[in-house]
Amino acid sequence: MADKGNDPAVIWQTMIGEMEKGFNSFANQAMTSPEFSKVMNQVGGATAGAQRQLGELMEKYLLAMNLPSRAQMVGMAERIQAIEGQLNEIKALLQQVHHNSLAPESGYGAPRPPRTKRPPSEGEQK
Amino acid sequence: MNAPVGLDLASISERVQSEVQRAIQRSIKGVEYISSSGPSLGSTPKDILAVRGTMNLYHYRPMADEIYRVPILIVMATTNRGYILDLVPGQSFIEFLLKRGYDVYMLDWTAPKPEEKSLRMEDYVLDFIPDCVRRVQQDSGEHDVTVIGYCFGGVLSLLYGSIFNDGPMKNLICFTTPIDFREMKLFSNFSDRRYFDVDRLVDSVGNVPPEMILSSFEMLRPASRAASQVQLWENIWNDEYVKAYRMMDRWGTDTLPLAGEYFRDITKNLMWDNKLYSDTMSVGGRAADISKIKVPILHAVAEHDHIVPYDAAKHLITKVGSTDKEEVMLKGGHVSLVAGANAIKRLWPKLDSWLGKRST
Repeated sequence: MADKGNDPAVIWQTMIGEMEKGFNSFANQAMTSPEFSKVMNQVGGATAGAQRQLGELMEKYLLAMNLPSRAQMVGMAERIQAIEGQLNEIKALLQQVHHNSLAPESGYGAPRPPRTKRPPSEGEQK
Repeated sequence: MNAPVGLDLASISERVQSEVQRAIQRSIKGVEYISSSGPSLGSTPKDILAVRGTMNLYHYRPMADEIYRVPILIVMATTNRGYILDLVPGQSFIEFLLKRGYDVYMLDWTAPKPEEKSLRMEDYVLDFIPDCVRRVQQDSGEHDVTVIGYCFGGVLSLLYGSIFNDGPMKNLICFTTPIDFREMKLFSNFSDRRYFDVDRLVDSVGNVPPEMILSSFEMLRPASRAASQVQLWENIWNDEYVKAYRMMDRWGTDTLPLAGEYFRDITKNLMWDNKLYSDTMSVGGRAADISKIKVPILHAVAEHDHIVPYDAAKHLITKVGSTDKEEVMLKGGHVSLVAGANAIKRLWPKLDSWLGKRST
C-alpha cells in the first residue's frame, strides 16, 4: 500500500480541510469586531429597504400585466392548505367510523398498543 | 533502479486505476445528481392532529406492540423543519423512538404567513406549546408528557417549563440549547444594539426572510459551503456520501422565516438583555425563571457545536431547579449530534437509556 502521506488524493483532501478551517477561523476573528457589525448592518439595512421597495414595485408591475402577485399566490396556497386540512379531518372521521374493520397498521383511529412497556434491565440494554 | 523511498510502483498503478474509475463514475453520477431529486425525507407514517397557522402537531404511528406510558412531545426549533429528526428509514430519530416503544408527537413549524408577523414569544410559549400539550394529553389519555426541545425549541420548552412548573411536563430533554446568549459571540456581534436596528428591520420586512436567517448561519462558517461542494465532487461516486449530503444540504437550506414580532422579542430580550441567563425573563407578563423547573432534565450538547457553543449552553443544568439532572457532551456538531451516523451511535442510545426508566 502507498504511504498515506504520499497519496495525492489524501494530500489534496487534507489541504482542502485545512484551508476551510483556516479561512473560517480567520473570518470568525474578523467578524467579532464592532466595525464588521457596523458595516454588515449598514449594508443589511439598505438591502432590506431596497427589497421592500422592489417588492412594492413588482406588485404594481404584476398588477399591470394582469398576473397574480406573491400575496395572491400565498392566499391561494393558504386556501389549498385549508382544503387539505379539511380533507385530513374527513379522512380521520371516516377512519374513526370504520376503525373496527381497519387493520391496526391502517393509521389514525386504529387501536393503539397498550401503555405497559417497562424499560429493559441494565443487562438487556444494547 | 530502485523506486524512491515511500513510493511503491505497483500501488501507484492501482491508485491511478482507481482514480480513473472514480473520475468516470464522477461524470456519470454527476449527471445523475443534477437530473434526480434527493431521497424522500420525513416519511415515517404520521397523522396530523392539528394545524393552526404556523403550528403543526403530528402524531407518529406506533411501531411497537407495547409502548411506554408517558408520551413524548418534540418541540422543533422555529428556524428549521422537523424532518431533520426523521430523515430516512434507518437514520430517523423518530423511527428509533417508535421502535423502542415511545409514543411520539411533534410540534413542527411551517413558514409564518405575512399576517402572522404579529406573533410574539407569548404566542409560542403560552399558546402553541400548551395547546399541543393539551392535545397530546387528550389523544394519548395520559396526563404526563415528556418534552424534548431541539436548539431554540429547547429555549421555548425551558420557558414553557418554567412558567407551567406544576405540570404536566414530566421530563425535559434539551438538545444544544443556549441560555447565555452573550456567549454566542458571532450572533451577538451581528445583532450589536449599536448598529442593528431590529425595529427598522421588522417594521420594514414584516416576517424575517429565510435567506437572512440562512446567511447568518452560513456566516458562522463562511468557507464551509464551498468546501463541502468540493468534497461532494470528490465523493460523488459514493452513493452513501451523496445521499447523506443531499439530506443534510436540503434540510440546511430549508430555513423558515421568523415571525417579525417574535424575532424582535428574541433580539431584545435574549440577544441584547440576556434575560434568560440573568433570571429576568418574562413572557406575556409571566416570570420565566428556569430555576422553577423541578422535573428530571437531560441536556445533550455537542463538542464541536459552532452555532450554540458550549459556553452558551453550559449553565442550563446548573440553573434549573431539578435534582435529577444530567448534562451529556457528545462528539459531533450542532446537527450531527441529533441526526446521521454519529447520532445513531451516541445520542439516541443515551437518550433511550435515560428516558425509558422515566417514562413508566
